[in-house]
Amino acid sequence: MKLVKCLRHALTMVLHSRLRSWLTIIGIVIGVASVIAIVSLGAGMEAAVNSQISGLGADLVTVSPGYSRAMRFGPGGDFDGGSSASDATLGRQDLQVVRGLPEVKAIGTQIRGSVEVYYLGEKATISLTGVDQSTWKDITTDGIGEGRMLGPADSNVVVIGERLATEHFDKPIGINQLLTIEGRSFRVVGILEEGTGSTIHMPISQAYQVLEDSVRGEYDSIIIKVKDGVDVQAFVDKLEKRLMLSRHVTSKDQDFSVSSNIQFASRMSDMTSTMTMFLAGIAAISLLVGAVGIANTMFTSVLEKTKEIGIMKAIGARNRDIMLIFLFNAGSIGLVGGFLGIGLGWIISKGLGAAMEMSTIVSGGIVAIALLVSVGVGIIAGIVPAYQASQLSPVDALRYE
Amino acid sequence: MGEVEVPALKGVDLTIRRGDFVAIIGASGSGKSTLMNLIGCLDIPSKGTILLHGKDIAKLSESDLASLRGRTIGFIFQQYNLIPTMSAFANVRLPLELQEMGDRESKARADKTLTLVGLADYAHHLPSQLSGGQQQRVSIARSLVTEPEIVLADEPTGALDSVTGREVIELMQRLWKEQGKTVILVTHDLNLAQYAHTHIELKDGRILSIMENTHMRMFKERSKE
Ligand SMILES: Nc1ncnc2c1ncn2[C@@H]1O[C@H](COP(=O)(O)OP(=O)(O)O)[C@@H](O)[C@H]1O
Ligand SMILES: [Mg+2]
Repeated sequence: MKLVKCLRHALTMVLHSRLRSWLTIIGIVIGVASVIAIVSLGAGMEAAVNSQISGLGADLVTVSPGYSRAMRFGPGGDFDGGSSASDATLGRQDLQVVRGLPEVKAIGTQIRGSVEVYYLGEKATISLTGVDQSTWKDITTDGIGEGRMLGPADSNVVVIGERLATEHFDKPIGINQLLTIEGRSFRVVGILEEGTGSTIHMPISQAYQVLEDSVRGEYDSIIIKVKDGVDVQAFVDKLEKRLMLSRHVTSKDQDFSVSSNIQFASRMSDMTSTMTMFLAGIAAISLLVGAVGIANTMFTSVLEKTKEIGIMKAIGARNRDIMLIFLFNAGSIGLVGGFLGIGLGWIISKGLGAAMEMSTIVSGGIVAIALLVSVGVGIIAGIVPAYQASQLSPVDALRYE
Repeated sequence: MGEVEVPALKGVDLTIRRGDFVAIIGASGSGKSTLMNLIGCLDIPSKGTILLHGKDIAKLSESDLASLRGRTIGFIFQQYNLIPTMSAFANVRLPLELQEMGDRESKARADKTLTLVGLADYAHHLPSQLSGGQQQRVSIARSLVTEPEIVLADEPTGALDSVTGREVIELMQRLWKEQGKTVILVTHDLNLAQYAHTHIELKDGRILSIMENTHMRMFKERSKE
């Protein structure tokens, strides 16, 4: 018998034992749906983590004074915690070291502090960052919302975070409004995009004047953007070694830290994917239960169809034909279960995503895998019953009532 | 405890000529069905040989045996044995599909054969929507659609009333006469056996007698207009 015909017979069989077929299909649907839902949630989570991380700038490396051992989980597993040398600072010499490295694309020095700000008669204490205005737009991960970023020739101007502009004072702060910062007047030329905090950014030279305890030539952080294609982790290690040399410290009394988001990024995505795999594994067990259901249904079906198998053999069906019909029957139960499971899984994942306020990703790859697996599961579950059916002797099968 | 082997047929030596209309008669349990199954290559004898076209069927592979059954032999059963989920047409077409015949030809042949048994109007009825006589005619159409050399009918009238039974036998006799097929009919109804050309009587698995039916009854020729 031709394959298409075997397939058609199998489908007729599925359609003619609707209730039993549907009950079996439900088993597969549940298995596939839970795998799809979990994997798509996991994929969504991973994508969210990754985009957050790339928003943080995976090509940025930050040097800051002080060293927190708790941040590191070295090969020795030493974990003495706490930070050391809190009075350490970063200075021109460190900047020189950074400048000497060929991987560097842009460098921005920053200082931070808090300042008193008057706006339309209201007073508040706000945090302030002095930035290197010529490179700031390259090393910041915040985009501009309104107005513009700081330019190289700017003075007496600031760019503020979106929350400061909209929420901090009774009246929102707009472009070109004046803020009085520590008694000096600054014009707002830009407001950062939504979701940025309430920090004021001003040229670092003026920040030295405004911030009382700041010392010219000392920085709170040096931010480095590396060139495209640079291995960030290797760069971090190299920079750390160079700075240790120039600052005359060893790993025992290290008083600065070099960090990038790449470690955090890979740890986070490792964690989410491990969790996804684990949960998908649990979900796959229900798929296994579905497979047992198919096998069970097929055994019952073979028993029920024994007489028909005898008839088919009497009118010329070969063992192979019978085998294929039953395999296709099992496979199509798997296929239908797979399709419905993908649909249900998609709905569940969108529903969960909406409830958890995150996007989920049902990728073409996982859909294809789910279909292949469910058909495969059906066929594997059908092998033994189908073989049993094909081996029935025609006379015995015909005599079966 | 081991199984005890009880031979259903003993010492049967039988040659059936091409184009004969044979009736196998005998009491219930005398081995008629067993003999039919052997002739129809549904079963392989535990001892002895069955030659079809001079070939020992026990030496054929499973799939060769299946195609031999499909092409050479048509079965008609007492219980009709139609596939309940398939229409009359689909049942008749099934043996052709098993032979991988092209769709157009198999459709034409199935239509023609259904018309031959007078069921053209019932092609799309399910077996459950047909009377016993009609179902048996569908099964006759199914046995003929492959144009087999041998038609085997195991008590084809067993489940039918005597009038319908007679009609079925009439149809078989007509096919035998018109198409020159070898027809082997199992029956325990001696009246119906009168329509066959040769009688084989079985008793307890042995052949009691083989004789030519000198009083063969013929159905009247149908006037063709
Ligand atoms: N599968 C079987 N197992 C055991 N005995 C069987 C089997 N099939 C048939 N027989 C026996 O073989 C003998 C012949 O049976 P059968 O050919 O069906 O007789 P008939 O068709 O003439 O009524 C009977 O005695 C029956 O009980
Ligand atoms: Mg019998």
